[in-house]
Amino acid sequence: MKAPRPYNLIAELTYRCPLRCPYCSNPLDWKAVGDGLDAEAWARVFREAAALGVLHVGLTGGEPGARRDLAEIVRAASTADLYTLLVTAGTPIGAEGLAPLVDAGLRSVQLSIQDAVAEESDRIAGTACFEGKIEFARAVRALGLPLVLNVVLHRHNLGRVAEIIRLARELDAERLELANTQYHGWARLNRAALLPTAQQLEDAAQVVREARRAGPRPEIQFVLPDYFADRPKPCMGGWGQRALVVTPDGSVLPCHEAGRLPGLEFWNAMDRPLAACWAEAPGMNAFRGEDWMPHPCRTCPERARDFGGCRCQAYFLTGDAARTDPACALAPQHDLVVAARSEAEAELVYRGRAP
Amino acid sequence: MSEGLETTRGFEAALRRIGEERYHHRHPFNLRMHAGELTRQEIRTWVRNRYYYQTRIPIKDGMILAKSASADFRRDWIERIHDHDGQKPGEGGLELWLQLAVAVGLDRAEVESLAHVLPGVRRACDAYVEFVESHDLLESVAASLTELFAGDIMVVRIAAFEKHYPWVAAEGLRYFRSRTHQAPRDADWGLRFVLENADTIPDRQRCVAALERKCEILWGLLDAVERVCTRPEVVTHASVRSDEQTGKTTVVLPERVLNLGGSSGEILARCDGRKSAEEIAEALQAAHPEGRSVADDVHEFLDEMERLGAIRRLPAVE
Ligand code: SF4
Ligand code: SF4
Repeated sequence: MKAPRPYNLIAELTYRCPLRCPYCSNPLDWKAVGDGLDAEAWARVFREAAALGVLHVGLTGGEPGARRDLAEIVRAASTADLYTLLVTAGTPIGAEGLAPLVDAGLRSVQLSIQDAVAEESDRIAGTACFEGKIEFARAVRALGLPLVLNVVLHRHNLGRVAEIIRLARELDAERLELANTQYHGWARLNRAALLPTAQQLEDAAQVVREARRAGPRPEIQFVLPDYFADRPKPCMGGWGQRALVVTPDGSVLPCHEAGRLPGLEFWNAMDRPLAACWAEAPGMNAFRGEDWMPHPCRTCPERARDFGGCRCQAYFLTGDAARTDPACALAPQHDLVVAARSEAEAELVYRGRAP
Repeated sequence: MSEGLETTRGFEAALRRIGEERYHHRHPFNLRMHAGELTRQEIRTWVRNRYYYQTRIPIKDGMILAKSASADFRRDWIERIHDHDGQKPGEGGLELWLQLAVAVGLDRAEVESLAHVLPGVRRACDAYVEFVESHDLLESVAASLTELFAGDIMVVRIAAFEKHYPWVAAEGLRYFRSRTHQAPRDADWGLRFVLENADTIPDRQRCVAALERKCEILWGLLDAVERVCTRPEVVTHASVRSDEQTGKTTVVLPERVLNLGGSSGEILARCDGRKSAEEIAEALQAAHPEGRSVADDVHEFLDEMERLGAIRRLPAVE
């Protein structure tokens, strides 16, 4: 199969992170994996990615700021002519740590915050960091870089979407991503405690609609969680279609969860050219294009939009990554998602009755 | 939304409240017009485009005429068409609007040709005609009730033009003057009709919705005018390049890569924060004289680029 051209590289520089968000999608055993690639190895990955056609790199983690050689890595990406986005929680880089990164060629920053109010944000992050994040956000703008704010939404902060939008305006964010928790990684363990109710989502959606009417900036992205939409999300523009992930130890994946699917062989950028890892690794080709698709995706008119949904979710819910994503209402196993949804409603009723 | 609609008085209050809250006297463009802040270019663009709206008015009034089985109704409503079209060439509201166009420095024939009407304005005005076409007499008359609020805005406007835009000759303002008395007269008549004929709550709800829709349409018209007068600028954090593999224009932004085809590179190259969107469209047309009209495509492209965060719009300057 001829591999398409990737445009976006997600460079996972480390799994280390000082925060402890309960919905984190990093592997649960992150401590066992060290930072395998040094700055020089990353520089090679960036050059090879650019040669493949990649234009944009997301420097992410864990927390990329946990690496001491981050500036060197940023410089390598920008030397390879990649547009750099730093995806960070703000600590431990801090406002003072930003300028050297900008000097090294950093173009843009995505900052995650947990909530619009300090106590709640710190409670979720598991450490007092809110004020530092706000300071960091201001430093991003002061240095002339565009700021993207990312807030993971769940039952405990959905009610404050209006405040979050206000904060994004105040910080002069270019874009606000209101990401609903995906139920992989840690979040799977905490699913029942995080799942929002349909009513909460409906109210938040209304707040977002009104904010959008008020003006084009910040651009607000608000996506219903899979459990409440009746079509799955398109996964990364399609498995092995537009984006590739390189993990801290050099594995080349179509998405950051894919390494946990059993039976798929992915290759490592330390052992082979990136082009081969992208185009030829059996795991990359396992769900590329449409040939692998099961019924009903195979003949579904929407398959070009959502590519049959998320392979990882299909695996976690059904035990088989090659099934239609159960988030789709047309999927034979959609009842699994419906059951999870009522789990959330049931628990809320229980809570409501508690004194 | 049925609060207060049980009584005629409550119904009338609801209709008037829509005017307070949603009529385009609150639109930023009108506020700036009346505060004397519009550039000549903005005034001209508005006059040229608003003419399209004027031309649609007698058409929709003709449709409304055809919906009524009452001779009394038609006898009265037909006055509106006479007001607009005049009893003979050289008279009427349309003619007065063309005189305004000349007074602000536009070419009469160019305005009359409708050749440079903006796509957004066309859409808004056509939506009004389509609304009347597809709704019944009651809703169509209710939609026309924006006239209730038009008289006041004309008074403000005349004062604003005299004070802030002395370069517009006084004869040019005759249209506004004529409307200060026509609009309230028409509106009173229309209001009475709606109050008398909408006697159930669902009917009243339909009337409220029709008037809201009409306010949206007028608002949309000004949105479109305002936007083409702005000066688009590629945001500083965007990286615009010609792709090595495809030769196409590619824009890289913090969260997306845009692969753009066609003339997008030529358009973006002109988004320097100095030229207005309208001037950019004209420049592009000049660069492709043989082709069909490109203005619509340019404006739609700019809207899309703004939505995606690749450009921002600076306000117009003199
Ligand atoms: S397969 Fe699933 S986890 Fe992986 S990117 Fe797609 S949607 Fe996300
Ligand atoms: S059946 Fe498959 S392709 Fe169709 S909408 Fe559902 S997941 Fe997408």
